[in-house]
This record gives sequence, structure tokens and C-alpha cells, in this order.
Amino acid sequence: MTMEFKPDIQLDETFYKVQEVRKLTEEAFSIRLPRSRFKYHAGQHVSLGIHGDYQSREYSIYSGENDECLEVLVKEVKDGYFSPKLSKLKVGDLVEVSGPFGKFRIDEKKIADHKFVFIASGTGIAPFRSMVRTHPQLDYTLIHGVRYGSEAYDKQEYAADRHILCTSGDRSGQVHGRLTTYLADATFEKNTQFYLCGNSNMIFDAIEILKNKGFDRDQIHCEVYF
Amino acid sequence: MSSTKKRIAFKTLGCRLNQYETDALVSDFDKAGYEIVDFKDRADVVVVNTCTVTNQSDQKSRNTISQAARNNEGSVVVVTGCMANNYKEKLEGEEKITYVVENNRKGSILNLVDAHFGGEVMHPAKLHADVFQFHAVDKSLHTRSAIKIQDGCDNFCTFCIIPSVRGRATSRPIPDIIENVKDTLANGFKELVITGVNIGRYDWEGKRFEDVLEAILNVEGDFRVRISSLEPDGFSDDMVKLFAHPKMTPHLHLCLQSGSDKVLLRMRRMYDYARFEHVVNLFRAEYPDFNFTSDMIVGFPDESEEEFRESVEAVKQFGFGHVHTFKYSVRRGTRAERMPNHIPEKIKTERSAILREASEDCRDQFLNSFIGKTQTVLIEGIDDNGIANGYGEHYIPVHFQGEGLSKNTFHKVKLIKVEGRGEDAFVTGELID
Repeated sequence: MTMEFKPDIQLDETFYKVQEVRKLTEEAFSIRLPRSRFKYHAGQHVSLGIHGDYQSREYSIYSGENDECLEVLVKEVKDGYFSPKLSKLKVGDLVEVSGPFGKFRIDEKKIADHKFVFIASGTGIAPFRSMVRTHPQLDYTLIHGVRYGSEAYDKQEYAADRHILCTSGDRSGQVHGRLTTYLADATFEKNTQFYLCGNSNMIFDAIEILKNKGFDRDQIHCEVYF
Repeated sequence: MSSTKKRIAFKTLGCRLNQYETDALVSDFDKAGYEIVDFKDRADVVVVNTCTVTNQSDQKSRNTISQAARNNEGSVVVVTGCMANNYKEKLEGEEKITYVVENNRKGSILNLVDAHFGGEVMHPAKLHADVFQFHAVDKSLHTRSAIKIQDGCDNFCTFCIIPSVRGRATSRPIPDIIENVKDTLANGFKELVITGVNIGRYDWEGKRFEDVLEAILNVEGDFRVRISSLEPDGFSDDMVKLFAHPKMTPHLHLCLQSGSDKVLLRMRRMYDYARFEHVVNLFRAEYPDFNFTSDMIVGFPDESEEEFRESVEAVKQFGFGHVHTFKYSVRRGTRAERMPNHIPEKIKTERSAILREASEDCRDQFLNSFIGKTQTVLIEGIDDNGIANGYGEHYIPVHFQGEGLSKNTFHKVKLIKVEGRGEDAFVTGELID
């Protein structure tokens, strides 16, 4: 005898099955979900929930607008509540996605005649990978501040002359020290658009440096991570 | 419904949006033949429109629900509003509450209550969900009528529960807004308050907040327009020009929250102190007596004494006409809940008192700066001694006396003297015409 399986629960379409968990370092990984009908702009974030858990957390989208999957970048916080659970997800597990949210986006009208400087600490690189993958014609420089060179997530995807790695814990980056030290000495063209993503202290310091260099606050766009 | 009119009472907590939604419900029930009674009076149905923005709001909402149930034993108690979203399951388990209706189904409460008295047991989850289904306000508990143009918020400020309980940002189409404005004016309202959760994020078919404002100002009629509450980053510099329109009132409630850029970043606010200062200077260069009122949060996690002082200085610098001071209140599930270095309650209370004192000084100075000037006051009420009260265009509360005055009429009043201090302060005036 065969039985027809009828699920008791109609799953909401915002639940996605995990397609892949991509290990990037000991602590960092990306989660790939089927893109399906989900539309977003590079730089936006989503809220992730785990099936059966009442909590949710926000993550910037790591994939490009035209990629086949929806991808987020996660760093596991060892004593945290949520990221350790995400790190245990397996292919086929359900993840709830709400969003996309946020105005941290590139003004497409500026792409043709502006330079873009992306300033990221740690996993704050996520929205910039999405922007770079979405807009291959971008004239950008990515300044990525991390502790160790191993945290230069997917470094090979960026043109070597556009990627400046600042490492404060080892000497593997082009710059040894915090990204704000590099920023203080760097020069940028007048019409540059700056995009900052990472922890609030880095963003606060970077804004001050850029303002002191004479850049207008309207040229500086921020996404704070916590 | 039976031939005996059912009596219904309402109680609203929290923001102007909630007040508007209650007003719209009052109109619905009035038109449907219910008798609207005071919350203190015995009713067959009591609707409590709750708020959950702070712990204090939760407490007030809980107390009001208990009071509603206690005073109206056996009656239908409907709980709606943001607390209903935030604590839905818990509230549904309480015997004293008949129905818990989420925000997006609030506009269908009349159907629910009608069904109840018709002997039909309807679960609120079956009600039609639409955050803009409210009709134009007719019979209201207030003189001013709000116009809802937007709902929800995607900003996810780290302290704020509202995105969880009001949902994602959504904008009402401009044609619907204008129809609502015309209906509201046809119902006799003379002052419209543009409202929503985050109206600066209005976005419908490429139209922004300024476009909505302009479209409303272009509607014919004898009325004036006020903006309920706005984020400092929600508009361009061109908006200052719209305030030259004779229907526009020179007042903005512009939320600063903190005078410290570091705290603003931790709050994940979308602006900094300089942006706020730019807006204030821009408007005051054009309209020197422009009234800015604001919201401030004290005791945000890790707020240092120096950062708090920056807030006090900001209040003094901007000369706000009024400040709502909130002690930071932990909201479950927000990012700030998990931040380190939460400020002890005692310090929050001390800081709150200092900021309130500074705010009251500013309000006092602001009100006194209008002595000898004229305001156009819309009368909201007249007491037994014939003293009328209402607000001038700068949102200054004015009391004055005159013959044959009636509610909901405009009068020019010369301001004479400030009475009282703080939130209760008002200005007495002499009727000019």
C-alpha cells in the first residue's frame, strides 16, 4: 500500500532550504540559499530566522543581484546565541528570510562618473562583495580591515589592485595595522563616494578622518554592524 | 444589530498614528449605529488600542486593559495596537480579553464586533488585513484629523521594537491619500496631521514625502497642515520651500534621540548631529521662529557621561519648543538588548531629570519669545467659563476668551503671558478677530 504524504503545515514561501554552507575560515562561513523569486539590491540586508527558533538576526546579502543563490556571510560568535546555531545548519535545513531591507545602496546614476571606496571591517565586506558582483563596471577600491590575513574572505574575487587588506594581528596584508591608519594617510579623488560597513567605532573614526580630509557627509554612506 | 444601541468605548495609548486609527474606528462604529461613550462609562464593547514602545507603555497598556475589563464585566474587550502584536499569544491566553487584533487587521474591528453580536464566532486572524483600510475620520475624539500616508519601518534602529510590531515600510498611493484628505475636509476638519510610522520613507511609484506634502497642500479648502513626526534624513533641502505655503504650519517634530554621534551610530540612526544641525539652520534661516520639537533617549547602553552631556547641549543649542524625553527601555529581540554596559536605572532617572529640566527651560524661552506676537488658533475646546483653548500655527497652546466662540474655528490671538511650565505650560492671549 502506498500513502500519499500531505504536509500538515503549509510552509510560508519565505522559508528556504539551505543549499550550501561554505566554510571560509575556522569561524566564518557563508550560507547559500536558493534565490527563487527573491529580489534585492546590492548592499541590502535580510533578517534570518531558523525554523523552530523565535529569534532572528540581520545579515547583509553577500551575493550579487544576479547570482543564482542568495548568500549571507556569517562569523560565529562563540558565546553568542544565534550564529553558533547558524553554523550547525546543514544542507536541506530550513531558514526563514525576511526582507530585503535597507537603503545602503549604490546610486546607479553615479557609477559611470564616480569613484567608489568601500571601507569594511571584518564581515562588513559582505555588502561590497554584493556590489562588486552586481556592477562589474564599478571603479572601486576596497579597503578591508581584519585581524589576520585568513579573514580576507573571497579575496581572489577582487582585482589585486583594487583590494587593500589591512591586518592588525599579522603582517600578511598590504598594510600592517588598522584600516583607519591607512585611511588617514590615503588620498582620494574629490568626487569619491565612500561606503562604510562594520563596527560602530571603526565607522565613527573613519567618518572623522574623511570629514577632516574635506569630504562632505553626503559622500559618506554607512551601515553599522554590531 | 438589535434595536437597542450597543455602547462602545475606546482608549488609545501611544503615538498619533494610534490616535488616528482609533478616530477612524470611532467614525466606523458611529456610522454603524453604535453609541460612543466615554472610557469611564459602562460599555458593551471596549477597544484598547495599545502601545509597546517602552516598558512604561507596556505597563500602561496592561493597566488599561485590566481597567477596561474590570469596569465592564461581561462586555466584549478588544485589544489591538502594537502591544497586541508584541505579546499576542500571551494576551490571547488572558480570560478578560475577548479578542486580540493585530495592527494590520485593526481596521476590520467593526466586522469582528458586528459578527460577535450577530452570534458568529470569528477569529481575528480571519479578518481582512490592510494597514490603510481606515476610512476618513468623521466623528472624532480630536479636533485635528490625522492623514495616514505610510505604515511600518525598515530602519531597524537598534533600540526600536516598531519594525517587529508594525511590519515593513509600506506607502499609501497618493490618489488614495488625496481622496482621504478630501473626505476628511468634507467632514469639517480644519487641521490635518500627516502621519505614519516613518513618513520620511514614503515611497510610492517614485514619489517621495515632499510629493505627498505638495499634493495635499494643493487640495482646495480652508485648512492647515501639520507634520506629525519626521526623521532628519527623510527629505531634501527643497522641503523648506514647501513651508512657504500658507496652509503649512511652521512646526516639525524632528527626532534627534541623542546629541552624540557615537550614540547615534550605536542606535543605527541614519543621520548625524551635523545633518540635524543643517536642517535646523536651513529652516530657521528662512523662518527664524520655526518650532522644532524632538524626541530624546537617555541612558542608551554604554552612554557615557560625556555623551549624555552632548544631548543636553544639543537641546540647549536647538532651542526645542518641546522634547519628549525617554529613558532607554529594553525591548525584547532588539539589537540594543544584547549590547554591553546597560545603564543602571538610577542613572537613567537622573539623566532624564537633567534633560527634562533643560528641555523645560527651552520650552519656556520658546513660548516667551512669542509674547506680543499673533497666532492663528484653532479652537479645540471651550470651558464653562467661556475660555477657549487650542493651538497656534507654531503648535503653541493658547487660552483666550471671547464672545460667541465655537470649536473648530480659526481665530487670531495676540499672545500675552506664559502660564505654567513644562508640558502643562500654555500662553494666554487676547482675541484680535
